[in-house]
Amino acid sequence: MANIHCNYYSDALKLNTDINVVIPTPNSDELMNHKDTGYWHEGARYQVLYLLHGTYGDYSDWCHLTSIEKYAQNHKIMVVMPSVANSFYQDMLYGPAYLTFLTEELPQYLGRLFPASTKREDSFVAGLSMGGYGALHVALAKPEQFCAAASLSGALTFPYGMEDHFRNPKSPWPFRAIFDTDDVEELAKTDVNLFVQIEKLQQAGVELPKLFLTVGTEDFTYAQNQKARKELEKRNVEYTYEEGPGIHDWDYWDEHIKSVLNWLPLANTTV
Amino acid sequence: MAHLDCSFYSPSLRKNAKVIVFLPTMSADDYLFNDDHPRYFAKGAKYQTLYLLHGSYGDCMDWSLFANAERYAQEHCLAVVMPSAENSSYVDMQYGEDYLTYITRELPAFLSTLFPLSEKREDTFIAGLSMGGGGTFRAAFARPELYGAAASLSGGLDKALSKTSSEAHSVKMPKNYRQACFGDSAVPTPGGKDDLRAALKACVDEGKTLPRLYHVIGEDDFLREGGEAFLAYAKSLGVEIEYKLHPGVHNWDFWDTYLKEVLEWLPLANDMV
Repeated sequence: MANIHCNYYSDALKLNTDINVVIPTPNSDELMNHKDTGYWHEGARYQVLYLLHGTYGDYSDWCHLTSIEKYAQNHKIMVVMPSVANSFYQDMLYGPAYLTFLTEELPQYLGRLFPASTKREDSFVAGLSMGGYGALHVALAKPEQFCAAASLSGALTFPYGMEDHFRNPKSPWPFRAIFDTDDVEELAKTDVNLFVQIEKLQQAGVELPKLFLTVGTEDFTYAQNQKARKELEKRNVEYTYEEGPGIHDWDYWDEHIKSVLNWLPLANTTV
Repeated sequence: MAHLDCSFYSPSLRKNAKVIVFLPTMSADDYLFNDDHPRYFAKGAKYQTLYLLHGSYGDCMDWSLFANAERYAQEHCLAVVMPSAENSSYVDMQYGEDYLTYITRELPAFLSTLFPLSEKREDTFIAGLSMGGGGTFRAAFARPELYGAAASLSGGLDKALSKTSSEAHSVKMPKNYRQACFGDSAVPTPGGKDDLRAALKACVDEGKTLPRLYHVIGEDDFLREGGEAFLAYAKSLGVEIEYKLHPGVHNWDFWDTYLKEVLEWLPLANDMV
Protein backbone atom coordinates (compact mmCIF):
# COMPACT_ATOMS: atom_id res chain seq x y z
CA MET A 1 0.00 0.00 0.00
CA ALA A 2 1.34 3.38 -0.99
CA ASN A 3 -0.06 6.27 1.00
CA ILE A 4 0.69 9.44 -0.91
CA HIS A 5 0.17 12.94 0.41
CA CYS A 6 0.28 15.13 -2.66
CA ASN A 7 0.54 18.90 -2.48
CA TYR A 8 0.24 20.59 -5.84
CA TYR A 9 -0.62 23.85 -7.52
CA SER A 10 -4.17 23.57 -8.79
CA ASP A 11 -4.81 25.71 -11.82
CA ALA A 12 -8.56 25.24 -11.35
CA LEU A 13 -8.41 26.58 -7.79
CA LYS A 14 -5.53 29.03 -8.39
CA LEU A 15 -3.88 27.91 -5.17
CA ASN A 16 -1.93 25.01 -3.74
CA THR A 17 -4.06 22.12 -2.62
CA ASP A 18 -3.58 18.84 -0.77
CA ILE A 19 -4.87 15.44 -1.72
CA ASN A 20 -4.32 12.03 -0.17
CA VAL A 21 -4.04 9.14 -2.59
CA VAL A 22 -3.88 5.54 -1.44
CA ILE A 23 -2.78 2.94 -3.97
CA PRO A 24 -2.74 -0.79 -3.20
CA THR A 25 0.75 -2.24 -3.65
CA PRO A 26 2.14 -5.52 -2.28
CA ASN A 27 2.34 -5.19 1.50
CA SER A 28 3.37 -7.12 4.56
CA ASP A 29 -0.11 -8.61 5.04
CA GLU A 30 -0.02 -10.10 1.56
CA LEU A 31 3.49 -11.37 2.21
CA MET A 32 2.73 -12.96 5.59
CA ASN A 33 -0.57 -14.46 4.56
CA HIS A 34 0.53 -15.62 1.11
CA LYS A 35 -2.09 -13.56 -0.71
CA ASP A 36 -2.10 -13.12 -4.45
CA THR A 37 -0.27 -9.99 -5.61
CA GLY A 38 -0.96 -10.52 -9.29
CA TYR A 39 -2.73 -7.18 -9.42
CA TRP A 40 0.63 -5.41 -9.19
CA HIS A 41 2.36 -5.13 -12.55
CA GLU A 42 3.67 -2.53 -14.92
CA GLY A 43 0.92 -0.88 -16.93
CA ALA A 44 -1.76 -1.76 -14.36
CA ARG A 45 -4.54 0.79 -13.88
CA TYR A 46 -6.70 1.12 -10.79
CA GLN A 47 -10.38 1.71 -10.32
CA VAL A 48 -10.77 4.99 -8.43
CA LEU A 49 -12.97 6.06 -5.56
CA TYR A 50 -13.13 9.79 -4.95
CA LEU A 51 -13.85 10.08 -1.24
CA LEU A 52 -15.17 13.39 0.01
CA HIS A 53 -14.97 15.03 3.42
CA GLY A 54 -17.71 16.83 5.33
CA THR A 55 -18.05 20.31 6.72
CA TYR A 56 -15.08 21.35 8.90
CA GLY A 57 -12.99 18.63 7.27
CA ASP A 58 -10.27 18.18 4.68
CA TYR A 59 -8.30 15.63 2.62
CA SER A 60 -6.80 14.02 5.71
CA ASP A 61 -10.01 13.03 7.54
CA TRP A 62 -10.76 9.67 5.99
CA CYS A 63 -7.18 8.45 6.48
CA HIS A 64 -6.97 9.71 10.05
CA LEU A 65 -10.38 8.66 11.28
CA THR A 66 -11.21 5.42 9.46
CA SER A 67 -9.39 2.33 8.16
CA ILE A 68 -10.05 3.27 4.53
CA GLU A 69 -6.49 2.35 3.62
CA LYS A 70 -6.99 -1.24 4.75
CA TYR A 71 -10.33 -1.52 2.96
CA ALA A 72 -8.83 -0.06 -0.22
CA GLN A 73 -6.00 -2.58 -0.08
CA ASN A 74 -8.50 -5.40 0.37
CA HIS A 75 -10.49 -4.26 -2.67
CA LYS A 76 -7.44 -3.21 -4.74
CA ILE A 77 -9.00 0.16 -5.41
CA MET A 78 -7.25 3.52 -5.49
CA VAL A 79 -8.83 6.10 -3.20
CA VAL A 80 -8.42 9.84 -3.69
CA MET A 81 -9.31 12.35 -1.00
CA PRO A 82 -9.40 16.02 -1.97
CA SER A 83 -10.00 19.19 0.06
CA VAL A 84 -12.77 21.64 -0.76
CA ALA A 85 -13.08 23.66 2.48
CA ASN A 86 -16.73 24.30 3.42
CA SER A 87 -17.73 25.09 -0.16
CA PHE A 88 -20.54 22.51 -0.47
CA TYR A 89 -18.69 21.27 -3.55
CA GLN A 90 -19.65 24.31 -5.63
CA ASP A 91 -17.84 26.58 -8.05
CA MET A 92 -17.88 29.55 -5.69
CA LEU A 93 -19.10 32.93 -6.85
CA TYR A 94 -16.36 34.63 -4.85
CA GLY A 95 -13.81 31.88 -4.38
CA PRO A 96 -12.29 28.74 -5.87
CA ALA A 97 -14.07 26.58 -8.46
CA TYR A 98 -14.26 23.38 -6.41
CA LEU A 99 -16.76 21.55 -8.63
CA THR A 100 -14.63 22.15 -11.72
CA PHE A 101 -11.56 21.12 -9.73
CA LEU A 102 -13.19 17.82 -8.79
CA THR A 103 -14.85 16.96 -12.08
CA GLU A 104 -12.31 18.22 -14.59
CA GLU A 105 -8.85 18.92 -13.21
CA LEU A 106 -8.48 16.18 -10.61
CA PRO A 107 -9.47 13.29 -12.92
CA GLN A 108 -6.94 14.57 -15.44
CA TYR A 109 -4.17 14.71 -12.83
CA LEU A 110 -5.00 11.25 -11.56
CA GLY A 111 -5.03 9.79 -15.03
CA ARG A 112 -1.72 11.41 -15.96
CA LEU A 113 0.34 11.43 -12.77
CA PHE A 114 -1.06 8.27 -11.18
CA PRO A 115 -2.10 4.85 -12.51
CA ALA A 116 -5.80 5.72 -12.37
CA SER A 117 -8.30 4.40 -14.86
CA THR A 118 -10.41 7.30 -16.09
CA LYS A 119 -13.13 5.12 -17.59
CA ARG A 120 -16.67 5.67 -16.40
CA GLU A 121 -17.07 2.08 -15.22
CA ASP A 122 -13.96 2.49 -13.05
CA SER A 123 -14.80 5.87 -11.49
CA PHE A 124 -16.82 6.20 -8.30
CA VAL A 125 -17.48 8.95 -5.79
CA ALA A 126 -18.59 8.76 -2.15
CA GLY A 127 -18.65 11.12 0.79
CA LEU A 128 -20.09 11.91 4.17
CA SER A 129 -22.47 14.66 5.29
CA MET A 130 -21.71 17.70 3.10
CA GLY A 131 -19.59 15.26 1.09
CA GLY A 132 -22.54 12.86 0.78
CA TYR A 133 -24.36 15.62 -1.00
CA GLY A 134 -21.08 16.38 -2.82
CA ALA A 135 -20.74 12.81 -4.06
CA LEU A 136 -24.16 12.86 -5.72
CA HIS A 137 -23.70 16.44 -6.93
CA VAL A 138 -20.39 15.58 -8.61
CA ALA A 139 -21.67 12.36 -10.20
CA LEU A 140 -24.86 14.03 -11.46
CA ALA A 141 -22.81 16.93 -12.86
CA LYS A 142 -20.68 14.45 -14.86
CA PRO A 143 -22.75 11.29 -15.28
CA GLU A 144 -20.60 10.42 -18.30
CA GLN A 145 -17.55 10.20 -16.02
CA PHE A 146 -18.89 8.53 -12.86
CA CYS A 147 -20.86 5.29 -12.85
CA ALA A 148 -21.72 5.26 -9.14
CA ALA A 149 -22.15 7.65 -6.22
CA ALA A 150 -22.65 6.89 -2.53
CA SER A 151 -23.82 9.17 0.25
CA LEU A 152 -23.09 8.48 3.91
CA SER A 153 -25.29 10.63 6.16
CA GLY A 154 -25.57 13.06 3.28
CA ALA A 155 -27.16 16.51 3.33
CA LEU A 156 -29.22 15.39 0.36
CA THR A 157 -32.03 17.92 0.43
CA PHE A 158 -29.63 20.86 0.26
CA PRO A 159 -30.30 23.77 0.08
CA TYR A 160 -33.63 23.17 1.81
CA GLY A 161 -33.43 23.30 5.58
CA MET A 162 -30.49 25.71 5.46
CA GLU A 163 -32.49 28.95 5.35
CA ASP A 164 -31.20 30.22 8.69
CA HIS A 165 -27.61 29.53 7.76
CA PHE A 166 -27.92 31.53 4.54
CA ARG A 167 -28.68 34.61 6.62
CA ASN A 168 -26.21 33.91 9.41
CA PRO A 169 -22.76 35.41 8.74
CA LYS A 170 -21.33 33.09 11.42
CA SER A 171 -22.53 29.97 9.60
CA PRO A 172 -19.70 27.51 8.93
CA TRP A 173 -20.55 27.73 5.23
CA PRO A 174 -19.59 30.96 3.41
CA PHE A 175 -22.87 30.99 1.46
CA ARG A 176 -22.57 34.65 0.52
CA ALA A 177 -19.31 33.81 -1.22
CA ILE A 178 -20.62 30.59 -2.74
CA PHE A 179 -23.95 31.64 -4.26
CA ASP A 180 -25.39 34.69 -5.96
CA THR A 181 -28.55 34.54 -3.87
CA ASP A 182 -29.60 33.86 -0.32
CA ASP A 183 -33.08 32.89 -1.50
CA VAL A 184 -33.21 29.15 -0.85
CA GLU A 185 -36.37 28.69 -2.93
CA GLU A 186 -34.66 30.27 -5.94
CA LEU A 187 -31.51 28.24 -5.41
CA ALA A 188 -33.54 25.03 -5.18
CA LYS A 189 -34.65 25.58 -8.78
CA THR A 190 -31.04 25.31 -10.00
CA ASP A 191 -28.50 22.51 -10.36
CA VAL A 192 -27.55 23.06 -6.73
CA ASN A 193 -30.58 20.87 -6.00
CA LEU A 194 -29.76 17.19 -6.64
CA PHE A 195 -33.32 16.50 -7.79
CA VAL A 196 -33.19 19.25 -10.39
CA GLN A 197 -29.97 17.66 -11.67
CA ILE A 198 -31.75 14.30 -11.83
CA GLU A 199 -34.81 15.67 -13.65
CA LYS A 200 -32.64 17.35 -16.27
CA LEU A 201 -30.71 14.14 -16.93
CA GLN A 202 -33.93 12.16 -17.13
CA GLN A 203 -35.39 14.64 -19.61
CA ALA A 204 -32.23 14.39 -21.70
CA GLY A 205 -32.36 10.59 -21.56
CA VAL A 206 -28.94 10.36 -19.90
CA GLU A 207 -28.06 7.26 -17.89
CA LEU A 208 -27.88 8.17 -14.22
CA PRO A 209 -25.03 6.99 -12.03
CA LYS A 210 -26.00 4.18 -9.65
CA LEU A 211 -26.88 5.60 -6.24
CA PHE A 212 -26.37 4.34 -2.70
CA LEU A 213 -27.61 6.00 0.49
CA THR A 214 -26.78 5.05 4.05
CA VAL A 215 -27.58 6.86 7.28
CA GLY A 216 -27.67 6.13 11.01
CA THR A 217 -31.11 5.84 12.55
CA GLU A 218 -30.13 8.35 15.28
CA ASP A 219 -28.38 10.70 12.86
CA PHE A 220 -29.72 14.27 12.70
CA THR A 221 -29.79 13.89 8.91
CA TYR A 222 -32.02 10.79 9.16
CA ALA A 223 -35.23 12.71 8.41
CA GLN A 224 -33.78 14.48 5.37
CA ASN A 225 -32.44 11.17 4.07
CA GLN A 226 -35.97 9.74 4.28
CA LYS A 227 -37.23 12.80 2.44
CA ALA A 228 -34.56 12.30 -0.21
CA ARG A 229 -35.68 8.68 -0.68
CA LYS A 230 -39.22 9.89 -1.33
CA GLU A 231 -37.92 12.40 -3.87
CA LEU A 232 -35.98 9.63 -5.64
CA GLU A 233 -38.98 7.30 -5.64
CA LYS A 234 -41.25 10.07 -6.91
CA ARG A 235 -38.94 10.26 -9.94
CA ASN A 236 -38.62 6.47 -10.32
CA VAL A 237 -34.89 6.60 -9.64
CA GLU A 238 -33.43 3.25 -8.63
CA TYR A 239 -31.16 3.39 -5.62
CA THR A 240 -29.82 1.18 -2.85
CA TYR A 241 -30.57 2.14 0.73
CA GLU A 242 -29.12 0.95 3.97
CA GLU A 243 -29.49 2.15 7.53
CA GLY A 244 -28.21 1.02 10.89
CA PRO A 245 -27.94 2.11 14.49
CA GLY A 246 -25.70 5.14 14.79
CA ILE A 247 -25.32 8.89 14.86
CA HIS A 248 -23.48 11.40 12.68
CA ASP A 249 -19.98 10.18 13.54
CA TRP A 250 -16.87 8.36 12.33
CA ASP A 251 -17.87 5.08 13.95
CA TYR A 252 -20.78 4.98 11.53
CA TRP A 253 -18.76 6.08 8.50
CA ASP A 254 -15.88 3.69 9.19
CA GLU A 255 -18.37 0.82 9.39
CA HIS A 256 -20.53 1.80 6.46
CA ILE A 257 -17.85 2.78 3.98
CA LYS A 258 -17.34 -0.99 3.93
CA SER A 259 -20.95 -1.38 2.74
CA VAL A 260 -20.24 1.18 0.04
CA LEU A 261 -17.19 -0.78 -1.15
CA ASN A 262 -19.21 -4.00 -1.19
CA TRP A 263 -21.95 -2.29 -3.18
CA LEU A 264 -19.69 -0.67 -5.78
CA PRO A 265 -19.06 -2.63 -9.01
CA LEU A 266 -15.44 -3.36 -8.09
CA ALA A 267 -13.07 -5.53 -10.05
CA ASN A 268 -11.14 -6.21 -6.81
CA THR A 269 -8.01 -6.11 -8.89
CA THR A 270 -6.29 -3.74 -11.28
CA VAL A 271 -7.93 -3.13 -14.64
CA MET B 1 4.20 21.54 -9.32
CA ALA B 2 3.31 18.50 -7.24
CA HIS B 3 5.09 17.40 -4.08
CA LEU B 4 4.24 13.81 -3.17
CA ASP B 5 5.07 12.28 0.21
CA CYS B 6 4.81 8.55 -0.40
CA SER B 7 4.83 5.88 2.30
CA PHE B 8 4.76 2.28 1.15
CA TYR B 9 5.87 -1.21 2.04
CA SER B 10 9.24 -1.95 0.49
CA PRO B 11 9.90 -5.64 -0.16
CA SER B 12 13.65 -5.14 -0.45
CA LEU B 13 13.87 -3.24 2.86
CA ARG B 14 11.26 -5.49 4.49
CA LYS B 15 9.64 -2.48 6.14
CA ASN B 16 7.72 0.64 5.28
CA ALA B 17 9.68 3.25 3.42
CA LYS B 18 9.21 6.94 2.71
CA VAL B 19 10.09 8.65 -0.53
CA ILE B 20 9.38 12.15 -1.74
CA VAL B 21 8.57 12.48 -5.42
CA PHE B 22 8.46 15.88 -7.07
CA LEU B 23 6.60 16.09 -10.37
CA PRO B 24 6.60 19.28 -12.44
CA THR B 25 3.04 20.28 -13.31
CA MET B 26 1.32 23.56 -14.11
CA SER B 27 2.61 26.15 -11.62
CA ALA B 28 1.50 29.62 -10.65
CA ASP B 29 4.57 30.92 -12.51
CA ASP B 30 3.48 29.05 -15.63
CA TYR B 31 0.02 30.56 -15.30
CA LEU B 32 1.28 34.10 -14.75
CA PHE B 33 4.31 34.38 -16.99
CA ASN B 34 4.84 31.35 -19.19
CA ASP B 35 2.26 30.58 -21.85
CA ASP B 36 4.93 28.42 -23.45
CA HIS B 37 5.17 26.08 -20.46
CA PRO B 38 5.73 22.35 -21.05
CA ARG B 39 2.65 20.35 -22.12
CA TYR B 40 2.76 18.35 -18.90
CA PHE B 41 -0.23 16.19 -19.72
CA ALA B 42 0.43 15.54 -23.40
CA LYS B 43 -0.59 11.99 -24.26
CA GLY B 44 2.21 9.54 -23.56
CA ALA B 45 4.52 12.27 -22.21
CA LYS B 46 6.93 11.21 -19.46
CA TYR B 47 9.33 12.90 -17.11
CA GLN B 48 13.07 12.88 -17.11
CA THR B 49 13.95 11.84 -13.58
CA LEU B 50 16.68 12.67 -11.09
CA TYR B 51 17.22 10.42 -8.09
CA LEU B 52 18.55 12.78 -5.43
CA LEU B 53 20.22 11.27 -2.38
CA HIS B 54 20.65 12.73 1.11
CA GLY B 55 23.77 12.57 3.26
CA SER B 56 24.62 10.94 6.59
CA TYR B 57 22.28 11.88 9.42
CA GLY B 58 19.64 12.95 6.85
CA ASP B 59 16.53 11.70 5.13
CA CYS B 60 14.17 12.21 2.20
CA MET B 61 13.09 15.65 3.45
CA ASP B 62 16.51 17.29 3.33
CA TRP B 63 16.72 18.47 -0.27
CA SER B 64 13.26 20.06 0.00
CA LEU B 65 13.85 21.63 3.42
CA PHE B 66 17.40 22.92 3.12
CA ALA B 67 17.75 23.60 -0.61
CA ASN B 68 15.48 24.64 -3.46
CA ALA B 69 15.60 21.34 -5.30
CA GLU B 70 11.91 21.42 -6.21
CA ARG B 71 11.96 24.95 -7.59
CA TYR B 72 15.02 24.24 -9.75
CA ALA B 73 13.46 20.97 -10.94
CA GLN B 74 10.25 22.77 -11.92
CA GLU B 75 12.32 25.20 -13.98
CA HIS B 76 13.93 22.26 -15.78
CA CYS B 77 10.75 20.15 -16.06
CA LEU B 78 12.55 17.39 -14.19
CA ALA B 79 10.95 14.86 -11.83
CA VAL B 80 12.93 14.34 -8.63
CA VAL B 81 12.88 11.23 -6.46
CA MET B 82 14.20 11.71 -2.93
CA PRO B 83 14.43 8.46 -0.96
CA SER B 84 15.50 7.82 2.62
CA ALA B 85 18.43 5.49 3.24
CA GLU B 86 19.26 6.16 6.91
CA ASN B 87 23.04 5.97 7.55
CA SER B 88 23.48 3.02 5.21
CA SER B 89 26.17 4.49 2.94
CA TYR B 90 23.79 3.22 0.23
CA VAL B 91 25.14 -0.33 0.46
CA ASP B 92 23.37 -3.64 0.95
CA MET B 93 24.17 -3.58 4.66
CA GLN B 94 25.98 -6.33 6.50
CA TYR B 95 23.63 -5.98 9.47
CA GLY B 96 20.66 -4.11 8.08
CA GLU B 97 18.69 -3.39 4.95
CA ASP B 98 19.58 -3.71 1.29
CA TYR B 99 19.64 -0.02 0.42
CA LEU B 100 21.68 -0.36 -2.75
CA THR B 101 19.14 -2.85 -4.09
CA TYR B 102 16.33 -0.58 -2.94
CA ILE B 103 17.73 2.51 -4.68
CA THR B 104 18.93 0.90 -7.90
CA ARG B 105 16.38 -1.88 -8.45
CA GLU B 106 13.19 -1.68 -6.42
CA LEU B 107 12.55 2.05 -6.44
CA PRO B 108 12.94 2.69 -10.20
CA ALA B 109 10.60 -0.21 -11.00
CA PHE B 110 8.10 0.72 -8.29
CA LEU B 111 7.93 4.41 -9.10
CA SER B 112 7.76 4.03 -12.85
CA THR B 113 4.73 1.80 -12.30
CA LEU B 114 3.00 4.45 -10.18
CA PHE B 115 4.10 7.62 -11.97
CA PRO B 116 4.89 8.63 -15.56
CA LEU B 117 8.68 8.48 -15.22
CA SER B 118 10.68 7.75 -18.34
CA GLU B 119 12.56 4.48 -17.97
CA LYS B 120 15.09 5.33 -20.67
CA ARG B 121 18.72 5.54 -19.68
CA GLU B 122 19.16 8.94 -21.27
CA ASP B 123 16.30 10.28 -19.12
CA THR B 124 17.41 8.81 -15.78
CA PHE B 125 19.96 10.55 -13.57
CA ILE B 126 21.27 10.28 -10.05
CA ALA B 127 22.96 12.78 -7.75
CA GLY B 128 23.54 13.21 -4.06
CA LEU B 129 25.55 14.96 -1.40
CA SER B 130 28.25 13.66 0.93
CA MET B 131 27.28 10.07 1.80
CA GLY B 132 24.74 10.47 -1.02
CA GLY B 133 27.54 11.53 -3.41
CA GLY B 134 29.30 8.30 -2.63
CA GLY B 135 25.94 6.54 -2.94
CA THR B 136 25.47 8.16 -6.34
CA PHE B 137 28.67 6.64 -7.72
CA ARG B 138 27.94 3.37 -5.93
CA ALA B 139 24.56 3.21 -7.69
CA ALA B 140 26.09 4.29 -11.01
CA PHE B 141 28.71 1.52 -10.86
CA ALA B 142 26.18 -1.06 -9.66
CA ARG B 143 23.77 -0.37 -12.54
CA PRO B 144 25.60 1.69 -15.16
CA GLU B 145 22.93 0.73 -17.71
CA LEU B 146 20.23 2.50 -15.67
CA TYR B 147 21.62 6.04 -15.50
CA GLY B 148 22.61 8.45 -18.23
CA ALA B 149 24.54 10.63 -15.79
CA ALA B 150 25.61 10.65 -12.15
CA ALA B 151 26.76 13.66 -10.13
CA SER B 152 28.42 13.69 -6.73
CA LEU B 153 28.18 16.85 -4.65
CA SER B 154 30.88 16.79 -1.95
CA GLY B 155 30.71 13.02 -2.14
CA GLY B 156 32.53 10.80 0.31
CA LEU B 157 34.35 8.82 -2.38
CA ASP B 158 37.32 7.39 -0.60
CA LYS B 159 36.31 6.92 2.97
CA ALA B 160 38.06 3.63 3.53
CA LEU B 161 41.25 3.88 1.59
CA SER B 162 42.68 7.37 1.89
CA LYS B 163 44.61 8.39 4.96
CA THR B 164 43.17 11.88 5.05
CA SER B 165 41.11 14.13 7.23
CA SER B 166 38.00 12.51 5.77
CA GLU B 167 38.71 9.48 7.89
CA ALA B 168 38.71 11.53 11.07
CA HIS B 169 35.31 12.89 10.15
CA SER B 170 33.82 9.59 9.15
CA VAL B 171 34.65 8.10 12.54
CA LYS B 172 32.24 10.59 14.08
CA MET B 173 29.59 8.21 12.83
CA PRO B 174 29.31 5.69 15.69
CA LYS B 175 31.38 2.60 14.97
CA ASN B 176 28.49 0.19 15.37
CA TYR B 177 26.61 2.13 12.66
CA ARG B 178 29.56 1.75 10.30
CA GLN B 179 29.83 -1.90 11.22
CA ALA B 180 26.16 -2.34 10.36
CA CYS B 181 27.03 -1.16 6.86
CA PHE B 182 30.36 -2.80 6.19
CA GLY B 183 30.84 -5.56 8.73
CA ASP B 184 33.07 -5.83 11.75
CA SER B 185 35.98 -3.85 10.28
CA ALA B 186 33.61 -0.84 9.98
CA VAL B 187 35.09 0.05 6.57
CA PRO B 188 34.49 -1.43 3.11
CA THR B 189 36.68 -4.48 2.62
CA PRO B 190 39.29 -3.57 -0.03
CA GLY B 191 38.27 -5.34 -3.21
CA GLY B 192 34.94 -6.34 -1.62
CA LYS B 193 31.42 -5.54 -2.76
CA ASP B 194 31.30 -2.17 -0.96
CA ASP B 195 34.65 -0.90 -2.26
CA LEU B 196 33.89 1.91 -4.68
CA ARG B 197 37.23 1.57 -6.45
CA ALA B 198 36.66 -2.14 -7.00
CA ALA B 199 33.14 -1.47 -8.30
CA LEU B 200 34.49 1.04 -10.81
CA LYS B 201 37.28 -1.29 -11.86
CA ALA B 202 34.79 -4.12 -12.38
CA CYS B 203 32.78 -1.89 -14.75
CA VAL B 204 35.93 -1.04 -16.67
CA ASP B 205 37.14 -4.64 -16.79
CA GLU B 206 33.76 -5.83 -18.03
CA GLY B 207 33.71 -3.12 -20.68
CA LYS B 208 30.48 -1.57 -19.39
CA THR B 209 29.46 1.86 -20.62
CA LEU B 210 29.49 4.13 -17.60
CA PRO B 211 27.09 7.03 -17.06
CA ARG B 212 28.59 10.47 -17.52
CA LEU B 213 30.24 11.27 -14.19
CA TYR B 214 30.63 14.57 -12.35
CA HIS B 215 32.08 15.55 -9.00
CA VAL B 216 31.81 19.01 -7.44
CA ILE B 217 33.21 19.96 -4.04
CA GLY B 218 34.21 22.97 -1.94
CA GLU B 219 37.85 24.04 -1.75
CA ASP B 220 37.72 23.77 2.05
CA ASP B 221 35.57 20.66 2.26
CA PHE B 222 37.03 17.96 4.51
CA LEU B 223 36.22 15.36 1.86
CA ARG B 224 38.19 17.14 -0.87
CA GLU B 225 41.39 15.07 -0.66
CA GLY B 226 39.60 11.74 -0.59
CA GLY B 227 37.58 12.77 -3.63
CA GLU B 228 40.68 13.83 -5.53
CA ALA B 229 42.36 10.54 -4.68
CA PHE B 230 39.36 8.70 -6.11
CA LEU B 231 39.35 10.85 -9.23
CA ALA B 232 43.06 10.11 -9.75
CA TYR B 233 42.32 6.42 -9.41
CA ALA B 234 39.47 6.66 -11.94
CA LYS B 235 41.79 8.48 -14.32
CA SER B 236 44.35 5.71 -13.97
CA LEU B 237 41.62 3.35 -15.23
CA GLY B 238 40.89 5.68 -18.12
CA VAL B 239 37.57 6.89 -16.62
CA GLU B 240 36.93 10.61 -16.96
CA ILE B 241 35.04 12.24 -14.09
CA GLU B 242 34.30 15.90 -14.72
CA TYR B 243 35.66 17.78 -11.71
CA LYS B 244 34.59 21.17 -10.35
CA LEU B 245 36.21 22.84 -7.40
CA HIS B 246 34.54 25.93 -5.97
CA PRO B 247 34.99 28.13 -2.90
CA GLY B 248 32.97 26.60 -0.12
CA VAL B 249 32.69 24.02 2.63
CA HIS B 250 30.54 21.01 3.42
CA ASN B 251 27.17 22.72 3.87
CA TRP B 252 23.76 23.44 2.33
CA ASP B 253 24.79 26.82 0.92
CA PHE B 254 27.22 24.92 -1.25
CA TRP B 255 24.79 22.17 -2.24
CA ASP B 256 21.95 24.56 -3.02
CA THR B 257 24.25 26.64 -5.23
CA TYR B 258 25.88 23.73 -7.03
CA LEU B 259 22.78 21.64 -7.48
CA LYS B 260 21.90 24.33 -10.01
CA GLU B 261 25.23 23.73 -11.74
CA VAL B 262 24.59 19.99 -11.75
CA LEU B 263 21.21 20.58 -13.39
CA GLU B 264 22.90 22.69 -16.06
CA TRP B 265 25.41 19.89 -16.63
CA LEU B 266 22.79 17.15 -16.95
CA PRO B 267 21.52 16.50 -20.50
CA LEU B 268 18.04 17.84 -19.76
CA ALA B 269 15.28 18.27 -22.30
CA ASN B 270 13.69 20.99 -20.14
CA ASP B 271 10.42 19.56 -21.36
CA MET B 272 8.36 16.40 -21.24
CA VAL B 273 9.93 13.51 -23.12
